[in-house]
Amino acid sequence: MGLTYMKLCIHCDEIAMPPIYHEADAKQAQPFCCHGCLTVFNVLHEKGLESYYEIKNNSATFKRRSPVEVKASEFNFLDDPDFLREFSYLETNGSRVMEFYLEGIHCLACLWLIEKLPEFVPNVISSKLDLERSVATVVLQDSGKFSQVAREFNQLGYRPHPLKKNQDVVELKMKEERMALIRIGVAGAAAGNIMIYAVSLYGGASDHFAQLFNSLTVAFAIPVMTFSAYPFYKNAWNALKNRTLSIDIPISLALIMGVVMGIFNLILGIPENYFDSLTTLVFLLLLSRYFLQKIQEKGLSAQDLHYFYQSDSVLRAAPESPTDFMEIHPKFIKVGDMLKIRAGEFIPADGVVIQGISNLNNSLLTGESEPVKIRVGQKVFSGTQNIDQDLIIEAEKVQDETRLGRLLKNVENGWAHRSQIVDLTSKVSKYFTLAVFILSTSLFIYVYQQGDARHALEQAITLLIVTCPCALALATPLTFTRSLSKAAEQGIIIKSDEVIEKLAKIKNIFLDKTGTITHGKLKIINFSIHKKSSISIEDIIFNLENRSRHPVALALMEFIKGKGVQSFIVEDRQELLGQGVSGTIGDHFYEINKSGIFEDKNLVASFTVQDTVRADSIETLKKIMAHKLKVQILSGDRTEVVNKIAQEVQLPLANALSELTPEQKSQMIKSTPHSMMVGDGANDAIALSQADVGVAVLGAMDISLRAADVYLTTPGLVPVEKLIILSEQTMKVIHRNLALSLLYNLASVAAAFMGYINPLVAAIIMPVSSLTILISTVIGTKELRSLWK
Amino acid sequence: MEIMNVLLPLALLLGGFFIFAFIWSARKGQYDDLETPRFRMLLDDKKILKSNPIEKKEEK
Repeated sequence: MGLTYMKLCIHCDEIAMPPIYHEADAKQAQPFCCHGCLTVFNVLHEKGLESYYEIKNNSATFKRRSPVEVKASEFNFLDDPDFLREFSYLETNGSRVMEFYLEGIHCLACLWLIEKLPEFVPNVISSKLDLERSVATVVLQDSGKFSQVAREFNQLGYRPHPLKKNQDVVELKMKEERMALIRIGVAGAAAGNIMIYAVSLYGGASDHFAQLFNSLTVAFAIPVMTFSAYPFYKNAWNALKNRTLSIDIPISLALIMGVVMGIFNLILGIPENYFDSLTTLVFLLLLSRYFLQKIQEKGLSAQDLHYFYQSDSVLRAAPESPTDFMEIHPKFIKVGDMLKIRAGEFIPADGVVIQGISNLNNSLLTGESEPVKIRVGQKVFSGTQNIDQDLIIEAEKVQDETRLGRLLKNVENGWAHRSQIVDLTSKVSKYFTLAVFILSTSLFIYVYQQGDARHALEQAITLLIVTCPCALALATPLTFTRSLSKAAEQGIIIKSDEVIEKLAKIKNIFLDKTGTITHGKLKIINFSIHKKSSISIEDIIFNLENRSRHPVALALMEFIKGKGVQSFIVEDRQELLGQGVSGTIGDHFYEINKSGIFEDKNLVASFTVQDTVRADSIETLKKIMAHKLKVQILSGDRTEVVNKIAQEVQLPLANALSELTPEQKSQMIKSTPHSMMVGDGANDAIALSQADVGVAVLGAMDISLRAADVYLTTPGLVPVEKLIILSEQTMKVIHRNLALSLLYNLASVAAAFMGYINPLVAAIIMPVSSLTILISTVIGTKELRSLWK
Repeated sequence: MEIMNVLLPLALLLGGFFIFAFIWSARKGQYDDLETPRFRMLLDDKKILKSNPIEKKEEK
């Protein structure tokens, strides 16, 4: 055996196997896991940026770092005027702004490095990094080139992906968000001030002060009731216009009545109004809605970024000389372009192979698990991955015309046509509004019969104000915010609050096999050594398969991970399509193929490769079925493979459907109401968009991410089960909250009928009811609490 | 209770000042990114030196 002690890479903290040293003297030098990390280390030192390591070692990492793979790219396409027009925007002072999503951002040192950019790259005015989104915003002088910035990022080990920005939309959104904050701030400040005066009024301020304080209260309330509460009025108006229901209708009604009564009393000189309760209510409601929106956006932006993640540059042959390749952005591929697809890259357009032989990984597009051999004249499709040899293809269909593009269109149509659900709060508010109207009318009649018309009107209006459904309106956003944020902490990103309500009604679950039930990648099983070889088995595997991207090679590399290996010089290394690799090390000829490892044609070790079922799949499937859900497998893979997996996880074969096209999958989903689909590939995308709830799993393709409602960042079925429990329990809390808030409203109605209602009573009931809801939400249920642990 | 004649305007003035300060800072975009700044403040402002390329720092 060679080196057996383990060393961690200085740059990425991965196990260095075997370590590479950056200086001849191995004692002094630090270990690196790969040449990528070493390159970045050298670049940092050359530029005098070595403080990076000091900062890195003194700070916590947010994300796990992986070894750097510096791919050679010139990024010249970034300077193309057409490209600039779409992907960057001009500031008023003539500087240009572009945003990049950076791969590999993981810690404080990255922040430091990226923001130091203006000091070592000419023409850069500023560079700001948003750590959470891994997005750098670079401002460049007009004379500067973004290709230079991108090369610099690339060299530092952060592969940049330019983000397309629609400046108007971004600015509008930013303005709206800031406005929402200002509304909340104004409401909070005014509510606080009003409370001070209200306490003096309740405490019995003398007549002169009572009048003064009352007018101050009204003065503070006016901006809240107009400016801050504007969104409620707008929503209520829209709901009325569209003849739909919204909790904002009774809220707006109560607010308007409150203003009418407050001003009326001010004119009459009666120091009595409900502004203390109402402003607090506006403040709390705005706040809860703001948080809910924030938490939903967080999920969405992670989503957008994955879309760009795939859009790496592509090599296109210059029309004049077919041997010169230029980098372009995939968006600018045209029909007839000759594209060079390097090994490991995704094919960006549908076309025909002009030159080269290779294996393609179709799993994302069709669900097939085995690589497919491809040669000259055969068709290739956008979204498949070229595994082992460079290919030159002629683009025949681009962008929306590709098979993938058409799938995407179907997905978008699916989204547009999916049914909108009427959420629970709106349903409740319908009956609520009706009840409040009937009650206040009957109260008016009841008091009027006793003789006093003005008193009757006053009582009726008071009832409208105190039955303001504040707790009711708070109950749902609070609960959803909590559930969504807790779910996000656990790696379950839920796109909108509606999803939880829909989830609670699910009866059927459809699973795609790869990535959920199985690991989604090949694994070595039954590894057995038959004969001793002159160098260790690990060394043979390492030296031969080191650079290969073939799934079997990756599985073998994974198999020997963490074991000490030594590097040798391999002569005549050959990778034969479908037959494996071979090469000579020292005096021996080695060969690795599907059936085993050979030394001088003698079998030394054998193994089988298989996409294995996850260890926890069987148990989790049982737990899921215990929720009275029917579980079925929908797969595009071959029947024998699917059946074998169904047997392993003890699902009846009738529930395992195989060899389905994307269209058949979606048909299946369409015909089954209350269905949830879990999948990853592009072949699942339509099905995901058509299911009541579509769940995309880790490693899913951009298209299915866009189609899905939920994105799971941890693999396997466990998060699916968590999601089901989460929705059930969240709905329980919501029902409880609704019941509690209705109870408080009932109490205030009763008090109003008995004539006990005045601003002081309202000022006690309203906050207490909101507080009850808050406590109920935070406590959640027993299952929810155990889920959060 | 004459003191109220001083305290009331003072309280209102102070409150008003903070409300406007908040509106101003929100408009300036101070609350746009709430995640990164708390880390950014941990980093030194000192300029990096381009003129000492390979000279290495002592590693702990």
